[in-house]
Amino acid sequence: MHRLRRLSLGLAVAGALGVAAPVAASAATTITISGATASYPLVQLLAQKYSKVHPHKVKFKIAQGGSTVGVNDVAAGRVTIGDVSRDPLFTASESGLVFYPIAKYAICVITNKSNAVANLTEPQLVSIFTGKTRTWSGVSGASASGTIDLISRSSVAGVLTSFQTLLLEGKKVASIGSEQASDGLAKQAVENDPNAIGFVSSYQSDKGGVNAVSVGGVACRRSTAVSGQYPGVARFYEVTKGKATGAASAFIGWIEKSPAARKIIATQWIPIEGG
Amino acid sequence: MDPDRRRLGPQALARLRAPWPDRRAERLLGAVSLTVGLLVLAMIAFVAVHAWPTFQHNGISWLGSGGSVATQFETMQQTTSHVPASVYHLRVWPLLYGTLLTTVLAVALGLVLAVFSSIFIVELAPARLRAVVVPVVRLLASVPSVVYGLLGVLVLVPFVGNHLITGSEKASVQNTVQLTGYSLLVAVVILTIMITPIMIALICEALAAVPNAWREGAIALGVNPLRAILAVSVRAVRPAIVAAAVLATARALGESIMISMVSGGNAFTPNLAHGLPIFLFEPLRTFASTIVDFREGISAPALGSSLYAIALLLLFSAFVLSLGGYLIKLPLRRHQVRG
Repeated sequence: MHRLRRLSLGLAVAGALGVAAPVAASAATTITISGATASYPLVQLLAQKYSKVHPHKVKFKIAQGGSTVGVNDVAAGRVTIGDVSRDPLFTASESGLVFYPIAKYAICVITNKSNAVANLTEPQLVSIFTGKTRTWSGVSGASASGTIDLISRSSVAGVLTSFQTLLLEGKKVASIGSEQASDGLAKQAVENDPNAIGFVSSYQSDKGGVNAVSVGGVACRRSTAVSGQYPGVARFYEVTKGKATGAASAFIGWIEKSPAARKIIATQWIPIEGG
Repeated sequence: MDPDRRRLGPQALARLRAPWPDRRAERLLGAVSLTVGLLVLAMIAFVAVHAWPTFQHNGISWLGSGGSVATQFETMQQTTSHVPASVYHLRVWPLLYGTLLTTVLAVALGLVLAVFSSIFIVELAPARLRAVVVPVVRLLASVPSVVYGLLGVLVLVPFVGNHLITGSEKASVQNTVQLTGYSLLVAVVILTIMITPIMIALICEALAAVPNAWREGAIALGVNPLRAILAVSVRAVRPAIVAAAVLATARALGESIMISMVSGGNAFTPNLAHGLPIFLFEPLRTFASTIVDFREGISAPALGSSLYAIALLLLFSAFVLSLGGYLIKLPLRRHQVRG
């Protein structure tokens, strides 16, 4: 019985600590964020810098999940800010949410390194991604042969929605495409499969390991995206329920105004002009 | 009270250390087990309440087929406020089919493997080998499934995708499904590897408990040794085999993270009409892996309810399994050996 008593005493102490620890930690405001996997690297860099500039003021908890997850979470009051990598849809579910654009990014079409397709026209892209063209032999400039492996994103992905709007004339990616859960996994899938074609944010394709395809003769590069020549340029948003308030408002304001944030965005993404 | 104890410290401390009366301990332990029971009930009630809207809108045809699960989930995910009844529409047959397919194949394969390797370990293997194999099997039984999933996705999936699937196989179904290596085959192979050690451990213990005299009696009557093992020992441990199969089925049904990693995350229904190797190369999704894949979308009410409905079905199947195992074992009990 001694052991039992000691055990229950231990449990009580552990319980007390468990209750006490969160109380001690809540001295700084916590901004919780969930949503787009494509903007995650950017938001994380921004959050790190913000914490450094304003020490002990805010803490960040950043989860991913996909743009629609971010929208749903913020609408349900589960997080402070939702990250979204597509334009607002103006559906009933998104009414009452405020979208703050924070940066622009290019969506690159990528193939495996061994299949260095140089250029695809927009009609070609539509034909491949809607599942009409199913073999590489029907694609000029492809060195791969055999079936095309479509790498798509799960339906919550904002990059998928933006890709369909900007580069597929609003048509949907064929449902046989294998759905990847994040921007990084989509790049990984194309890197591992010689027959694959997919689409990722320029942040992922710039990391190398895959071949970025030009669209209509325009390379997917930061410079062509800035100049507006490249057609696949979308926006990242921070989304709040109603107008941003308190710590969230301060953070978003800092992203929009401060030169430090602008500098971070300009490394691999594109700042919103006039910001 | 022991007088020596009192010397250890002040009287209060001594009283603190004194053994509790047994009756109080009994009550404490009773309360703990009652709490566990209540927790289980509360969990089932919670899941059922959240699952209710799904069953309300779909009825029993929820289990049927029709439309694409992916499209239905997409609609749910994009509607979060003023959810109309039509959004709850879901037909889970592809998931049910995927779950049954992986579970039945893996358990059948694993059961054959487990019975024969247990016979070898207990009856035929030299003692020195047995001393190594038994702990290794126990170790295998306790490897976390995510480790198997990682090996599957890094080793088996690329191997199947790049070496087993041929270009012509890919081309023959290219308008219906993509064969990329994420497949029924990899899911079943890893699931079998995961559940077989548990079955071996259980069956081995039961076989070892069969009295030698039984088998020796059979041999003395002129039956050859292998036959004696199959007819006497294996027959005697049938309850243990059933118990092993039930436990393995439960693990296979509930396996989520590994299946989610290797099965392709596409609610496709592998089609035997495509021919045998191709059938095995096709992707699928199971109930448990669906919960893993969509857990982040749970703040959409219809999707959340659908996931709870799947959870309720899994809870229910666990209940049916243990009941079924008990019923099957009843008539086998007469000649049983306790494992």
